[in-house]
Amino acid sequence: MEPIGIFILAMICQVYSCAANVSDSVERMQYASVAGEEYLQGDRLETNLDDKVYFDFDKSILDAEDKSLLEQYLPEIKKAKIVRLEGHCDERGTREYNLALGERRALEVRDFLIVKGVSGKKIRVVSFGEEKPLKSASNEKAWAENRRVEISLY
Amino acid sequence: MIKFLSLLFFLVSNSIFPVLEIEILKGSDNLSKVAFVPFGIESGIEENYGSQISKNIEKNMLLFGEFENLAVNEMLSYPSSENDFYYRDWKVLGVDYSLIGKVNSVNALGNLNISYSLFNINRRIKILEGEIVGSEDNIEGISKIISNRIYEEITGLRGIFDTKIAYVINSDADTYQMCISDIDGKNEQILFTSKAPIMSPDWSPDRKKIAYVSFENGLAEIFIQDLQSGERDSIQALGMTNSAPVWSPDGKSLALVVSFSGNPDIFLYSMNNKRLMRLTNHYGIDTEPSWSPDSKKIIFTSDRSGSPQLYEINTKSKRKKRLTRDGNYNARGRYFPDGKSIFFVHGNDGNFQIATKKLSSRYIETLTSTSLDESPTISPNGNIIIYATKDGSNGYLGGITLDGKSRFSLPVKSGSVREPAWSPLLN
Repeated sequence: MEPIGIFILAMICQVYSCAANVSDSVERMQYASVAGEEYLQGDRLETNLDDKVYFDFDKSILDAEDKSLLEQYLPEIKKAKIVRLEGHCDERGTREYNLALGERRALEVRDFLIVKGVSGKKIRVVSFGEEKPLKSASNEKAWAENRRVEISLY
Repeated sequence: MIKFLSLLFFLVSNSIFPVLEIEILKGSDNLSKVAFVPFGIESGIEENYGSQISKNIEKNMLLFGEFENLAVNEMLSYPSSENDFYYRDWKVLGVDYSLIGKVNSVNALGNLNISYSLFNINRRIKILEGEIVGSEDNIEGISKIISNRIYEEITGLRGIFDTKIAYVINSDADTYQMCISDIDGKNEQILFTSKAPIMSPDWSPDRKKIAYVSFENGLAEIFIQDLQSGERDSIQALGMTNSAPVWSPDGKSLALVVSFSGNPDIFLYSMNNKRLMRLTNHYGIDTEPSWSPDSKKIIFTSDRSGSPQLYEINTKSKRKKRLTRDGNYNARGRYFPDGKSIFFVHGNDGNFQIATKKLSSRYIETLTSTSLDESPTISPNGNIIIYATKDGSNGYLGGITLDGKSRFSLPVKSGSVREPAWSPLLN
């Protein structure tokens, strides 16, 4: 994944519980700027399970197959200290919209994990939109592989 | 809230060869034909200055395929003053306009005085006469000024030959570069190199800064880079993701997207007091803001209807209006400079193409014919759109004049180029 050794996830914050009333003043929004949390790429936990779930074009809904895959993964997810969810899109459509869509996909996975009893506090969500495709070809097969959420455990 | 960052990665490199070079793909059959007569020189002046200037102007005028030229060796005469100019010499060759000129004097400081005249052959009148003084070190700059003037005289549109373009180059899987160059591809500067993606460049109206999104710290953050000093500031607008920055026409604020817990909305960020004002508040995706030329409205993409569509919002009253209804994907809208039409990415039958629409009509007109077109940007005179597209696994830039006269491409030698952003005019 990223070649940079250290992720500074300064603003990946646990505001899902308190995001409903966002004020219009930046000063009053400082609660969202939780202290940065750093962890090393080298600390990633090995797992034998598939670490990706896939989505339909312009969709962020998990189907039954995705859900059962995530359920198989649950015991390991619950053991991990940090669960990183990275949302991605295929190249079709616009880049900024896809950035938002990738975030939607990662959050869909996060919400499912929380419902299944994983602590939201250890989940980190990031979207790369269409910026980091797995496959660079422009065909249905490549697009299907690129519309994904990657799950990594630390 | 703005954090000053050290400039470890800043470097400016002037490439010898332009990275982007415009190739005309299709010219129209009935383009105006212009004769760029080699400029005369007064004795004592470096001999090739005359032909250098007329050649530069010719190259500029032909850059986007909007005109046809008359080859120098086909000319019947080489006048450099009005006294030697005979309309019949040009009429017989089917020329519509002739440009003549003379490099008149050079003083001890190396200053040139260049006079020029443009003739309309069909109407048999001189339509423009001008004089310009400049340094011999700046022949390209002088040529651009003359090019702008004759382009304006012929087309009635502002000349754009001294504009610039910003773009992102992805030379291999792990190298992303934020670049700018002159609109003809010359003088490329690499503003920033990163191992993580770079997105969404946008010029400040004074052309002194570029705002863009960088993932260098692991997630999407907005940076503003000063082009003179190379200094980069990050905007700490908070939330989970900050993206899609666009400068207001007065340069005093940015419209941008802040996502709190996965709910991206449009905000206005004041450059003066660093305050953030919420503009949209919807559980759907709201992104890709852009200002109307009069600053009163912002166009944005929202999936609140179930698919991405374009909306505009009045920044004062916050009243919203849906702009697109046809097709299941209409996104990243931008206003034309006159504010009366918009251009955007239109998804149709699995193809994503650049389209335009008058605000007063429902009809969407598709401009491009490739299938993965995105990130359109318009010339400040409203006549040319450059966009990103893809051929095989490499991204390149395509261009089209809105009068339909020309299509062109701006390929890169290696890697992918994407996200073009046309600079404003220097005023």
